[in-house]
Amino acid sequence: MINFAAVRPWGQLGPGGRRILLAAALGLGLALALLWGSIAWASRPTTVRVLMPAPFADSTAMLVESFNREHPDLRIVVTRGPLETEAVSDLAISSLLLGDSPYDLLLMDVTWTAKYAAAGWLLPLDGWLGPTPLAPLAPGARAGNRIDGTLWRLPMLADMGLLYWRTDLIAAPPQTPAELVAISERLQRQGKVRWGYVWQGRQYEGLSCVFLELLRGFGGNWQSSGEGLGSPAATRAASWLRELIVKGISPAAVANFAEPEALQSFEAGEAAFMRNWPYAWQELQGPASRVAGKVDVTLMVAEVGQPHGATQGSWGLSVLASSPHPAAAVEALKALTGEAGQRRLVQRWGYSPTLTALFDDPALVAERPLLPVLQSALESVVLRPINPGYAQLSDILQRQLSSVITGEVEPALAMERAGLASQQLLEASGRGGGR
Amino acid sequence: MSILLMAPALLLLLAVFLWPIVHYAWLSLQAQSVFTGLKPVPVGLANWERLLGDGRFWQDAVQTLRFALVSVGLELLLGLAIALLLHQSWRGRGLVRSLTLLPWALPTTVMALGWRWILNDPNGPINGFLELLGLPSLPFLASTQLAWLAVVLADTWKTTPFVALLLLAGMQMIPADLYEAFALEGGRPMQGLLRITLPLLRPYIFIALVFRLAQALGVFDLVTVLTGGGPASSTESLALYAYLNAMRFLDFGYSATLMLGTFVLLLAAALALVLAQRWRRASA
Amino acid sequence: MSSQPCHRSGSRLRISLVILLLLWSLAPMLWQLYSSLRTPESLLAGLAGLGGGWTLINYTAVLQANPPFWRYLLNSSVVGALSTLLTLALAIPCAYSLSRRGGLLKVVVGGGLLAAAVFPYVLLFLALLQVARQLGLANNLLALCLPYAGLSLPLAVLLLQAAFADMPVELEENAILERFTLWQRLRWILLPLMAPSVVSTGLLVFLFSWNEFPIALTWLSRSELQTLAPAMARIAGSSVFTVPFGPFAAATVLGSLPLLALLLIFQRQIVAGLTQGAIKG
Repeated sequence: MINFAAVRPWGQLGPGGRRILLAAALGLGLALALLWGSIAWASRPTTVRVLMPAPFADSTAMLVESFNREHPDLRIVVTRGPLETEAVSDLAISSLLLGDSPYDLLLMDVTWTAKYAAAGWLLPLDGWLGPTPLAPLAPGARAGNRIDGTLWRLPMLADMGLLYWRTDLIAAPPQTPAELVAISERLQRQGKVRWGYVWQGRQYEGLSCVFLELLRGFGGNWQSSGEGLGSPAATRAASWLRELIVKGISPAAVANFAEPEALQSFEAGEAAFMRNWPYAWQELQGPASRVAGKVDVTLMVAEVGQPHGATQGSWGLSVLASSPHPAAAVEALKALTGEAGQRRLVQRWGYSPTLTALFDDPALVAERPLLPVLQSALESVVLRPINPGYAQLSDILQRQLSSVITGEVEPALAMERAGLASQQLLEASGRGGGR
Repeated sequence: MSILLMAPALLLLLAVFLWPIVHYAWLSLQAQSVFTGLKPVPVGLANWERLLGDGRFWQDAVQTLRFALVSVGLELLLGLAIALLLHQSWRGRGLVRSLTLLPWALPTTVMALGWRWILNDPNGPINGFLELLGLPSLPFLASTQLAWLAVVLADTWKTTPFVALLLLAGMQMIPADLYEAFALEGGRPMQGLLRITLPLLRPYIFIALVFRLAQALGVFDLVTVLTGGGPASSTESLALYAYLNAMRFLDFGYSATLMLGTFVLLLAAALALVLAQRWRRASA
Repeated sequence: MSSQPCHRSGSRLRISLVILLLLWSLAPMLWQLYSSLRTPESLLAGLAGLGGGWTLINYTAVLQANPPFWRYLLNSSVVGALSTLLTLALAIPCAYSLSRRGGLLKVVVGGGLLAAAVFPYVLLFLALLQVARQLGLANNLLALCLPYAGLSLPLAVLLLQAAFADMPVELEENAILERFTLWQRLRWILLPLMAPSVVSTGLLVFLFSWNEFPIALTWLSRSELQTLAPAMARIAGSSVFTVPFGPFAAATVLGSLPLLALLLIFQRQIVAGLTQGAIKG
């Protein structure tokens, strides 16, 4: 039974009583604040951090912004990495090696996937993306994402090497290397162009891309095991490149050309043929170009009976194994590589998509007339070796090829050295390889 | 008791200097790379065989040696000239001496960024000056022939003050009456330089040579920021190649082999210097 | 060099040589200062745009970047101060006992220290990186002081040993007679007398840790923790600016200021330290 006589009103409480009441009120207030704070803390948006090279960070900015608006509990934050491809990888590796990476997603070049996967830094995507995640992709875009049966990456944009030709000078593009040489010589003799064919001959990754397509056209292949550089087909391909310079079909300066230099030369009307990526098309239709409207693209030349090759370059997103919220990361990945996202990138920036649905979309094709050509090119892609040591293998090839192009070493000897060095590299790294 | 005093310092020194060399020796016999999932797997002498046949290593060795010899040579010449200038006492000498030391005090990477702009083609001041003279602009950082000279220039600018100070210290140990006696006997100042100063400076020149050569053979900071090793690896140094193998190619076993190989080359160079010094002393 | 009285032409020659020397030493830095105050357009315009185009936007760009530039200076100062303290704490006892001993140990240790002082430490980065990975010392400014102290110890011990050797033994003998312990002798007698050498050595160690690049590059991946040297490399590779040289120059100027100030304030001590090193080495 409550002793009502013992209950005192506030005013008649002694100082001790008041202190106890005050403490209780404070304690209650604190508990409420903590509760409210922790609810707010738990419901704050999950942040998914993505590292992208600078150009892609810029082009996906609006996509990311609209995603963040539509998803109140999930936020994508893009870290704008350096301009150079290699520098972005260096940045990611330096934090991954220390086990202290702040990123959840990484926009990766196709040649990095094997290295990162072998180092154990990527999260296998099987099971996160449904039973057939690669089915909606064009056939050529599927390659390079699944290594040894595990899916490591979902591509966002595709790229492939193309042969650009002048429609005002010839009726049909060459099909074989010999045809290219013959047509170039004829046009040069007639004084219609200064050079026949401009391509990337500088000692860098672009040179490996140029060589790979040609190697396929001569009947060879650069295997994922690293084999193929010591083969007779490789010697033939390297010799053909050297011949272009010796015969004057390509300028000697091509030994220092990257994509911008080759584009500059072709754009000024100096050459009949150019090897470049799809982005060049946009530039060639621009006001500064002397060949606007007089250009078409086709696949790289190949010997009779050999497949025409196009080196595949694609950028795709991978989830890092160290990410604290993989589910959220996969959500972000799906949004960035999904159809809506790719459509906007293609429309706004002229990139090449990876989804078959987009290639078949008539509205999109109307806006970007190059899409059918890109789709057929994507069916003939050839991939650089899917090998964790690709960067070193490519370096070996670049150095030997560069010495062939500048005429310092005979093609046969150079390619043999390339094959031998590749073999030594793979043996010393703990995985055997061949020539 | 005194051993106890030395112990902590010696322990840290052994940990920082000796253990890495031992570790590299072991690591060079392993494959620890991205192929092995970054775990060490013994492969015997495979890394060393690869080293002997590695064109990039030998090219880098030649490039690094060429850079070191030219750079150190220039530094000695310029350093000697500066030391001669600062040796006499005149008003403001102390301030000038400190101002001369400014390049040395700046971190290498900080000023390397500055050099990228100074050497820029075509907008940098050097090319602007060439343009004023009516000469064509030079692609310092894009030409495989010129880029290494740019690195030599930046390195010389930074470390000449150190060499100058070293030689100055040596010069100030030479008693002045030697010169007086020489002048009384009718010797000209130029001869005084050759017959008194240089011979007495020899130990200091030797120290500067050894110190600078060892540092120059390990050049890394400057090359990384100024050229990144390019164009086409024409300015790549041995240290940078070893670094790339570890941090870009994720091939730790081979990187350790490269660094041991560089160490061996360094020892060979040091030995050559010591032998040259002995031979000169014997024949002098 | 010669004790003949200076001729007018000799002093005119000297003045022009001194001016040349100052130009050579200071022009690159002055050019950075100039470029940092110019807009991108005026940098590309060359001499033509000299009238207008003065601005502070390069500095605001660098100071408002993510992370802001002063962060790097702070990190370098913290690491520099701590490694200097650690180095001196380890080097002083070691140098003391080395200077008081003779014989084989001194020769061996001295020779080893000399070899270590000359050794290009960049070659140690891989082993130290593995240490950082195994022991979890990465991305930690305090932990970075350990390798820095190790790398500075050879020079510090050699310089301090020479300074200790200059202290006559009689000084200590009196103190020993009065039952002073070693620490008391160091604290009250030796170190106060050696203060200039200790300061010089400390300054050289501090300069070294500001300049150090490969270890900081591999041990620090978080951009807000980076010290000045790797931060400059990261700025060099960044792509935020289309014409980056204004901001690059601003970064160069800001990065140079602390050490330039240090040099000008402590010029005598630094020069003394280097000279001592030369003579005793």
